Amino acid sequence: MISKAAKSVRVAIFLAGTSVRRANLGVVLLTVMILALAGLNLLFVPGLLEGLVKNANDQVKNTYAGDIVIESATENSQIPDVQTLTNRIKAIGGVSAVTTRNTLGAEVSFENERTNVVVSGIAPDGEKAVFTIDKHMIEGTFLEASDVDKVVLGVQVAGADKPNIELYSRSLKRVHAGDTVTVSYANGVKKLYTVKGIFWTEFIQTDAQALISEKEFETVNPQVAGTAASVRIKTASDAAVGGVAGQIRQLQSGLRVLTWEDYAGIVRSMTDSFHVINTILNVVNVLVAGITVFIVTYIDVTNRRRQIGIQRAIGITRSSIMVSYLLRAVFYAIVGAVFAGMAFVYIVMPVEARYPFHFPFGEVYLQTGLPTISRAAVILLGAALVASFVPAWMALRTKILDAIWG
Amino acid sequence: MYDVRELTKTYHVGKVRIRALDGISITIPRGDMVAIMGRSGSGKSTLLRQLGLLDRPTSGQAFLELKEVTRLPEAERARLRLSCIGYVFQEYALLAELTAHQNVYLPGMMIGGPTDYKEQGAELLRLVGLGDRIHHYPKELSGGEQQRVAIARALINSPKLLLADEPCANLDTISSRTVMETLVRLNKEMKVTTVFVSHDPSDRQYAKAVIVLSDGKIAEKG
Repeated sequence: MISKAAKSVRVAIFLAGTSVRRANLGVVLLTVMILALAGLNLLFVPGLLEGLVKNANDQVKNTYAGDIVIESATENSQIPDVQTLTNRIKAIGGVSAVTTRNTLGAEVSFENERTNVVVSGIAPDGEKAVFTIDKHMIEGTFLEASDVDKVVLGVQVAGADKPNIELYSRSLKRVHAGDTVTVSYANGVKKLYTVKGIFWTEFIQTDAQALISEKEFETVNPQVAGTAASVRIKTASDAAVGGVAGQIRQLQSGLRVLTWEDYAGIVRSMTDSFHVINTILNVVNVLVAGITVFIVTYIDVTNRRRQIGIQRAIGITRSSIMVSYLLRAVFYAIVGAVFAGMAFVYIVMPVEARYPFHFPFGEVYLQTGLPTISRAAVILLGAALVASFVPAWMALRTKILDAIWG
Repeated sequence: MYDVRELTKTYHVGKVRIRALDGISITIPRGDMVAIMGRSGSGKSTLLRQLGLLDRPTSGQAFLELKEVTRLPEAERARLRLSCIGYVFQEYALLAELTAHQNVYLPGMMIGGPTDYKEQGAELLRLVGLGDRIHHYPKELSGGEQQRVAIARALINSPKLLLADEPCANLDTISSRTVMETLVRLNKEMKVTTVFVSHDPSDRQYAKAVIVLSDGKIAEKG
């Protein structure tokens, strides 16, 4: 025995199936194409914004802040006995690498050009373990622990004859690896340095820095020996940054422990804004997709008003007819979503990867994954269901005689 | 079988009030073959649509198998249209996307078993002389063939009542005779009560009883 509801669904599936099979191929292709475009729209904008956010976050973590930053919370801006602190931090589970930095403001000059920078004294080996700046050298090489009288400059400081970079007009413009620059520190020390290398991470804040070795920094500012202005930590990929930061806070008082998101507040504010923009655009996209499906279904239902009237006159229930329209919408939405997903993954993303968008923090690659594609498909499906329900419901409210004979 | 009492139907076209049915009372016995005749605009089709539960009257009552049907909710009327009433429209009213076979068995899917409606549909098409056209689409059939498909469809759920609204209006003489003879044969063989509307006086020959309407009123009964 088949239940009444099952028979009703059986008829709905039959009507939807024959309607799709016997539909005009041009109309089917147009409908699927419109839905696929709406689906692409649902994938592209979040993909771009997710790419932007991921790139910005990666740049902050890998070239600017590290995963966790520790600063002094006391009046003395230096963290004392930093070696002991770093050893204790390294013992915490989830910590992958630790390095220290000291900083001093300076004016750097070359020929007739001069610019102000923050010079960081770094431990090159630790720096390479926490950051990826050494992998972005466009000229020369990165620092070694034994380097003295050598400086590594960001491209926004050196200029490097690249007039298209963002801060070129404020840079030294024509400095290259091997040139000699003059550095006048805020503490009155003035030194000549050989430019050992120039890095270009494409993250402006990083590329506006100058780096010297810890050994060199202590010759410029001997008072900082054994202390650091900040400690930078890289966590293991499977570790929770917040959890590791919490454990560090327990180690000793007088420290300000910040996650990379806290440290680079501008990026957090930017990513928050991107999420808001993403949500707004998604709502707009859903409306566009919904209205598109509504128009397609409305025209279809209007053309089939007489058929609907006949179906009702011969005893087909309203629910069967309604479900048949919803099934058609689901079919078109699924096909549209599949086309959109495939076009995005196999056409749009590879093309964009070849010609990536360029932003102030680097090249941005479209991001997507099963959750994003599934979400777009669900949104498209929901929009299609609502948009097909309304015109079908309106048609089914019409009197049978009016539907058949107008 | 069907008892109609003081049925009226009034339409409003703009400010003009049209009384399409004016106090119609008729009784249709089980197994009868009734012709509703009259000139164009006399109310024949309006009455048939009332009997077929496609429209509601302005006033009056109608009892199908002793059950009052004018005030039933739409879902219940749809169930009766499906299981008790077969309706043949003047202009065939087949679904263009379905084959003749599918058109016939579609209403059967609503109440039939897993596959029996398909066999029954094919059998009905053979019964109306279209056993070799079951996989043809409506546009591939002549007017007379389409009307016979519509008759087969109307019979798929073994209705107690078969209603045909000017079934030969768009057909040539030979096709008209085939369709009317099919109705008569089905009335005899299947014992299905049949009511058909016609404006052609020669169709009286097919009916056991005739009701003639004029201006929405019964002008002649016999």
